[in-house]
Amino acid sequence: MRIIRGIKIGGLQQKIFVLMLIFIIALIGVYAMVTVHQQKNLASVVQEANVEQQAAITAVSEETMKTVLEMSMSRSTALQAYIANDLFSDVRTDVLTMQAFAEELFAHAELFSPHPFSPPLAENDGVPSVYVLHEPDVDPQDSELLKLTANMSEILLARFTASSKLSGCFVGTADGNLLVVNNRSGVCLSPDGSPLTLDVRHRPWYWQAVDAGELTFTGIEIDSYTGIATLECAAPVYHEGELVAVVGADIFLTSISEYIQDTASEGSFLCVINEDGHVIFSPQRTGVFKAELTDQALDLRAIGNKELARFVTLALRERTPLTCIEIEGTEYYLTGAPMETLGWAVISVVDKEITNQPATMMLSQYEKINSEARSAYQSGAKQSERTIVLSTVAILVLACASALFVADRVVKPLERMTMRINALSGSGQAFEMEDAYRTNDEIEILAESFASLSKRTRDYITQITEITAEKERIGTELALATRIQADMLPNIFPAFPERPDFDVYATMTPAKEVGGDFYDFFLIDETHLGLVIADVSGKGIPAALFMMVSKILVQNYAMTGRSPAQVLEAVNKQICANNREQMFVTVWFGILDTLTGKITAANAGHEYPAVMQGGGGFELLKDKHGLVIGAMEGLKYTEYELTLKPGSKLFLYTDGVPEATNAQNELFGKERMLNTLNEEPQASTDALLRRVREAVDDFVFDAERFDDLTMLCLQYNGPMQQA
Amino acid sequence: MLNIEKTIDASELTITLAGRLDTTTAPELEKQLNAALDGITALTFDMAALEYISSAGLRVLLSAQKIMNRQGKMKVLHVNETILEIFEVTGFTDILTIE
Repeated sequence: MRIIRGIKIGGLQQKIFVLMLIFIIALIGVYAMVTVHQQKNLASVVQEANVEQQAAITAVSEETMKTVLEMSMSRSTALQAYIANDLFSDVRTDVLTMQAFAEELFAHAELFSPHPFSPPLAENDGVPSVYVLHEPDVDPQDSELLKLTANMSEILLARFTASSKLSGCFVGTADGNLLVVNNRSGVCLSPDGSPLTLDVRHRPWYWQAVDAGELTFTGIEIDSYTGIATLECAAPVYHEGELVAVVGADIFLTSISEYIQDTASEGSFLCVINEDGHVIFSPQRTGVFKAELTDQALDLRAIGNKELARFVTLALRERTPLTCIEIEGTEYYLTGAPMETLGWAVISVVDKEITNQPATMMLSQYEKINSEARSAYQSGAKQSERTIVLSTVAILVLACASALFVADRVVKPLERMTMRINALSGSGQAFEMEDAYRTNDEIEILAESFASLSKRTRDYITQITEITAEKERIGTELALATRIQADMLPNIFPAFPERPDFDVYATMTPAKEVGGDFYDFFLIDETHLGLVIADVSGKGIPAALFMMVSKILVQNYAMTGRSPAQVLEAVNKQICANNREQMFVTVWFGILDTLTGKITAANAGHEYPAVMQGGGGFELLKDKHGLVIGAMEGLKYTEYELTLKPGSKLFLYTDGVPEATNAQNELFGKERMLNTLNEEPQASTDALLRRVREAVDDFVFDAERFDDLTMLCLQYNGPMQQA
Repeated sequence: MLNIEKTIDASELTITLAGRLDTTTAPELEKQLNAALDGITALTFDMAALEYISSAGLRVLLSAQKIMNRQGKMKVLHVNETILEIFEVTGFTDILTIE
């Protein structure tokens, strides 16, 4: 775990944080994927529906339009044809009436007197008037026919006045005169006021009627005087099988032309086709449906469009159904109806493009609504996207915060615990449970474990401390006991400075603790010196106590004047009396007669003493051994005597000397001991003991010494000179 | 270190000692003896591999000898020279049956 700027990398907190973050990011990812997928799905569904709806709208609209158009167009075309036909049929009626009247007139000529007539008068221009025109070489005054015909003046005037459709009516006589009624007398006057002449019998209406022999409509003529397109209707009048006159009426086509012109609205118009297939009225200025009255007029049936030809042929004969024809690259809806009077036809033309307009409009409206909806949806989507992004960020922030919070919740108690544990010092302090660790989870268990461990540790430390203190106390007491023990032994040297006849020196070097070795020497009387060396079995306080008892007993019994064997027997008896612990002690006890150098000694299981006689070396004295003291009751010990010549030495020791062991587990041995002593046997008693101790120390070196090292050396110098 | 091996044949117990019988190892032998000596009428110590015996060890032998004096007999086998010398010096040769 590294710490960078106070943030623990790889810590529990970071791990929990990362874990939660990964989980949340995965959640958001799934959420985002689902959202995107749904949005795409929705968009494509909307798009498909859009296309389908548009197609449906187009189809339905087209169908509806076609139906509506069929009904309205064919009806209106028929109506137009009927109205137009009506116009001409009125004229026809008028002309037939005039023809009948004229025939009656000629049939009963004897009943009529000549009727006056006049040339056109300037003052009559603009008002309905009756006047006469004539061919250049014809004099109206000579014409009997005219004089008779003039009787029709009132009838013609009445007819003209009554009809709003007629632009004029007239009677041409077979001799070249023309009786006219109209309100345009002015136009028949030359600038000088004289009347203009007219080739009456060369006018198309005249000869066409004569040729036909019955009522006939001329083609569209340009009026001789006004230049206005005019349609004339004429019928010949016969009297007794002889042509006498031709009656007629003319209609200015201004009104029908204007009407047709007015029908032109955007993309649709009416046109009129004559029996030759020529377009005679049309608001069109260009193209196939342009009106053409000249010789260059095209027959619509002969321009190479079969469908159009078929349609026109049909229209001239009967009402056609709505027909869709492509003309010069544009599709048109057409209906037609015949004008039976003239053998013409009215054709209604609608650019198909126009009929699509409602659909287009509807579509555009639909598209507009749709696009509004779409943009609303998109802005909504954008809004929701923003909301999603914002909420995602919010969720992330919240998640981070809660992750940190949770991680903190987990880590904080741990950190606090770590801090508390690190802060623990001294034996008195213990880790205590705190509310911060009451998390109801493993942390609480951990904290409780710590607390219990800490308590146990503290108790243990206390115990250890007590034990240590106890040990120290015991150690101190043992050290004290060792001192007391050592102090019990005579340890002031030279021990008998006033006695030149002998010299005694002894040392006891305890091992690690108080032991059971002891030495002793004491004057029993002026000439007897008691010498003791002993080794109690075992170590420690029991051995020390046993040694004390033994030492005191030996000395006490020795002071009563008993022999060495008697002393040991008494001591053995005393010790065995109260020796449940089976302790025993090896004792060598001897009494030196300072006058003679004779030593009387007894040995209760102790090491052989070493003796140096005169100028020789030290040798072991294999004396007679008895059993150790304390082993059995009622033991008998044997004494032996040994006489030291002046200058001789006696060396006593415990098994600590020969049994001193080095690191290689070798024993120092009696051999080495004797060799050491014999390096300089003449040396002083203290020097000898020092040598042996040094030799043992060198031998043992760094191995641990288990046993006490106790030695005693006596030098006999010979009896004191009696003063 | 001391290795203690016990072989019981009915009421006869043989204890084979190897190593050093001293202050530190004697208590263990004493403990084992106290636990094993009930009903034993013949106790044998085999000391062939015993290197050293200290006064503490002698004390255990003495205790055992005293117990066996009451309930049977005890003998010591294969005592080497060092051990025998210790037995002689301490006078144990007088009370032990050494064979």
